[in-house]
Amino acid sequence: MKINLFKVYKTGLASLIVIIGLSFLNVSVAEEKKDTKGDFARGAKAWVDNCVRCHNVRDPKELRDDQWITTTFHMRIRAGLTGQQTRDIIKFLQTSN
Amino acid sequence: MNIKLTSLACFVGLAISSNTMAQTEIEKLRSEVDTLNKKAQEWEAYQTIKQKIEKDVSLLNDKAREWEEWKAPKTLVHLAGFADVGYTDRQDQTGSFNFGGFSPIFHYQFADQFMLEAELEFEITEGGKSTASIGYLTIDWFVNDYMALVAGKFLSPLGQFRQNIHPSWINKLASAPTGFGHDQAAPNADVGFMARGGYLMESNNSMNYALYIANGPTLEADGSEIDMIETPGLGKDGDGSKTVGGRFGMFFPASKFEFGVSLATGNVSVRSGTAGNYSYDASRSYDVVGTDFNWRPGSFDVRGEFIQQEYGAQSTSAAPDSGKWAAWYVQAAYRFSGTNWEAVARIGEYDTPTNSKDVEQVTVGANYLFATNLVGKMSYEFNDNPNAGLTAANRVLVQLAYGF
Ligand code: HEC
Repeated sequence: MKINLFKVYKTGLASLIVIIGLSFLNVSVAEEKKDTKGDFARGAKAWVDNCVRCHNVRDPKELRDDQWITTTFHMRIRAGLTGQQTRDIIKFLQTSN
Repeated sequence: MNIKLTSLACFVGLAISSNTMAQTEIEKLRSEVDTLNKKAQEWEAYQTIKQKIEKDVSLLNDKAREWEEWKAPKTLVHLAGFADVGYTDRQDQTGSFNFGGFSPIFHYQFADQFMLEAELEFEITEGGKSTASIGYLTIDWFVNDYMALVAGKFLSPLGQFRQNIHPSWINKLASAPTGFGHDQAAPNADVGFMARGGYLMESNNSMNYALYIANGPTLEADGSEIDMIETPGLGKDGDGSKTVGGRFGMFFPASKFEFGVSLATGNVSVRSGTAGNYSYDASRSYDVVGTDFNWRPGSFDVRGEFIQQEYGAQSTSAAPDSGKWAAWYVQAAYRFSGTNWEAVARIGEYDTPTNSKDVEQVTVGANYLFATNLVGKMSYEFNDNPNAGLTAANRVLVQLAYGF
């Protein structure tokens, strides 16, 4: 039973490596759709959904525009957000502070 | 005679009329001069105002330029972090005021490509000494929208508590769940290399991953027993084999539910000797399994996780037995709407190969949120040791936590 569980997880791990490999392939396609400015409405939605997963929501008014950039990139790493979600959320926060 | 008189009258008449004409002319000229004077004054006033405005505009331009520079330089610098102070009273001891820790976090970001994130941890020991250590320090490279490569000392991405819930302004109770403290069942940190990121699906559900390879832990023996699995983020790999692992998470925003699965595998060995002069015995297997979830229906915030570290037997070691160190907790918090109050309850268990270390724990608490990042907490911990008789280790904890 225990060995099976490990096997299942190890297969999971292997598929993750494949997914990461695919994400490299995905880049050229995604690059075209990339909205480098960020979108306020999408950002507001992503903020409401994601920024309460680990801790109480932080007031957009708490930080300056530049501080929201570093903070949101920090949270991108923690929360596993995509680059686009990060840009959208930054746009939302910088407009709402 | 008549002619003479007539021409005289004409002359006088002419003289009189030309005199009146000259007077009107003067009047006209005077009023023109007046108007011109007024215009000249207005012009002067206008010039002074213009100069003042020009000065103001150039001043504002300078300020705007400074602000633009401040807002969008290539390198951004930001100091964040958290700290807490409090009072702890354990049933069998005298209560003490304490300073839980001061953890400044540094963010240095280069354009949208790189970020250095570092957390220092300052603490005060029982003996009054201040200690400083590096909680984590990594350089993150945002390779593309779906992946970042992270290298350095990082908090273990296995499970949730050690990486994401331990900061005092985030943790809804004033203590870590049993088994999730330093060097207990949950791995704390590691030194190595990670790939992490996420993917947003059409359905708006998202997946996130963290995959790492690192030095891994070491074992500390007390006689023939393993006393602890040390996971502080070791600067040297003593067992000859790297640990690989990761966490995979799925998030469903419509149901406000996230779950994650963690796994790591590698080798570990018992370390002996003192710093600078360590020796390591033969290596043995090391595996971690874990699962975690969080769910936020209405005003509730429910989360829980299970984590287990396990090492195999090694007959040549002074501490030859295999062992499992496991812990779990489930926590529910309720925010009273329209108030700043929050109630929390947590149940958990810590299970080790050494009976005296095992703990069953229930913790309840009430929190006052001055702001979402400034929290006053009162927690009561019921601690029970089912395998070695009851110990009077219940605790009251009062804490003020500030995340900035
Ligand atoms: C995966 C869990 C998680 C998610 C999701 C998350 N945070 Fe955080 N956040 C943390 C942790 C953990 C810290 C404490 C920083 C540390 O210890 O490194 C933190 C800290 C912060 C801070 C304090 C400044 C700092 O960087 O330390 C702010 C502000 C913040 N988060 C905002 C956000 C926003 C905005 C979002 C949504 C984009 C978000 N968080 C999503 C875990 C998370």
